[in-house]
Amino acid sequence: MPDLVLSEFAGVSLPDWIDALIRIVFVVALMTVNALALIYLERKVLARFHQRVGPTRTGPFGMLQSAADAVKLLTKEDVRPASADRWVFELAPYFAFVPIFLVFIPIPWTETWVVRDLELGFLFVFGVLGLNLVGVVMAGWGSDNKYALLGAVRAAAQAISYELPMLLVSVAVVMVVSARLLVDNGSTLGAVDLNVIALEQTTTPFIILQPLGFAIFMIGMLAELHRPPFDMPIAESEVVGGYFVEYSGIRWSFFFLAEYTALLLLVMIASVVFLGGWNFPFGEDVGLGLQLVLTLAKAGALIFILFWSRAMLPRLRIDQLMSFSWKVLLPFSILQVLANAIILTYDGDEWIVGVTSLALLVLLSALVYVRAKMLARGAERSIHKQPARPRLITAQDVTSGD
Amino acid sequence: MSATEVVFYIISFVMVAGGLGVVLSRNIVHSALALIMSLGAVAGIYVILTVEFLALAQLVVYGGAVIMLMLFALMLTRARERPQALFGKNRPVALAVAGGLLTAFVAGILGTEWAQSNRDEIEPVPFEEIGDVLFSVWAVPFEVVSVVLVIAMAGAILLSQPDEGER
Repeated sequence: MPDLVLSEFAGVSLPDWIDALIRIVFVVALMTVNALALIYLERKVLARFHQRVGPTRTGPFGMLQSAADAVKLLTKEDVRPASADRWVFELAPYFAFVPIFLVFIPIPWTETWVVRDLELGFLFVFGVLGLNLVGVVMAGWGSDNKYALLGAVRAAAQAISYELPMLLVSVAVVMVVSARLLVDNGSTLGAVDLNVIALEQTTTPFIILQPLGFAIFMIGMLAELHRPPFDMPIAESEVVGGYFVEYSGIRWSFFFLAEYTALLLLVMIASVVFLGGWNFPFGEDVGLGLQLVLTLAKAGALIFILFWSRAMLPRLRIDQLMSFSWKVLLPFSILQVLANAIILTYDGDEWIVGVTSLALLVLLSALVYVRAKMLARGAERSIHKQPARPRLITAQDVTSGD
Repeated sequence: MSATEVVFYIISFVMVAGGLGVVLSRNIVHSALALIMSLGAVAGIYVILTVEFLALAQLVVYGGAVIMLMLFALMLTRARERPQALFGKNRPVALAVAGGLLTAFVAGILGTEWAQSNRDEIEPVPFEEIGDVLFSVWAVPFEVVSVVLVIAMAGAILLSQPDEGER
């Protein structure tokens, strides 16, 4: 989009590709700063939840801790297992990390600050995020380590299982947007365009119209990022690092960077699609300053929620988390798509969509709560059950009973 | 040479290199990864042809699903330990046949009158029209395809069950 901020700064109109290149460089720089900042913030926030202080010694308030971590990682020895498949091992970090950077292309930070406002933005996000898994599986295989392979397969299985409900609730949101676009414009063009989705939320953010969608998207986000409570594949006490156990130094930092970049990425997508992104209270009217503040505030709130859930929640076992996705989240997301389809085809009002979604969310929470209570009671009963006392049966007791 | 042509040649180079990697590589996991490279380049070709929806569908289906399946199958079975018998005695014959097929295909492609070969620009197909037509005019084949997928999944689950008596 040549008629925007960059051309104004430069004073001349730039050709398309130089404009795109400058935006990409901005995004890459932003991602690096973001990773450093999030590492430090996560440690501080987690520390406060654990009633301790976090890093305080390196720099004022420990702010140079990230830089210290980066220096340590860069100067570590680059170890590679001798029997590891060399090409696969060395290319895996790039496969894990490049798709996540690519997905920053359609994300709108404000109304005009997008790298490229892709018409198929939302579809692009999910299509390219899937390529991340190839890197994970390559890392597990290339390490020539059974536990790494196990961790990689689990990580990939977890990611694809939780991607499905996320996709379906995204489809539900796109259905609402395209119903509106059909009424306004006569065609559903732009329904998957992230900027258009943000624009449609001037009065009501989609978290009000699709609360179940937001809940499932947040849960799916935690699982895609391999964050607690879904971090079984990379948990230190379980698979000792999982698919990146054999990586050290710079290669490991690629995976780490990929994780924090994906965190910001998915948080930005959730805030654009469900919380109204740069638009929600009065973004479109007031202009650039308020839009930037809104984007950062929403992203910050969601990031804090993710750190909070890490501090609070225990880890789910791999079979528990797989069955939760396939047996609970997937049916509910299918129900949500069905409900949206029925209501929107018969031209129902939008508040019906919101109420149905809220009802489904209440049903989901009730189901999870009841099931948890049942399991807890069952466990209690088996703890308090008396062990069988040995009884003395004589031959006379047996034969006299006939 | 316009920028589009340069990009096209780069993508085609990647595609052909990936294809050669699939066939000539000694390690079967390397073949699978070269296949991803090749299929990703096909997605790039779709973008040049202005059907970005097909490019993304290609990435989702092939990059995300088919390749993951192949990688799981290769990695979790003992594919690495068996030696790969790549080059046998019939190499000259195989080379001749492959060369003959290549010339036949290239002659066929260059000699055909394609529908849009007289125009300078491609008319992009609007993406929402694909959706409209898919679910209205072509709804029956769509449903049949989904039934076939369900049958395939059910068959796979059934085939992977242990036999009776086996634990």
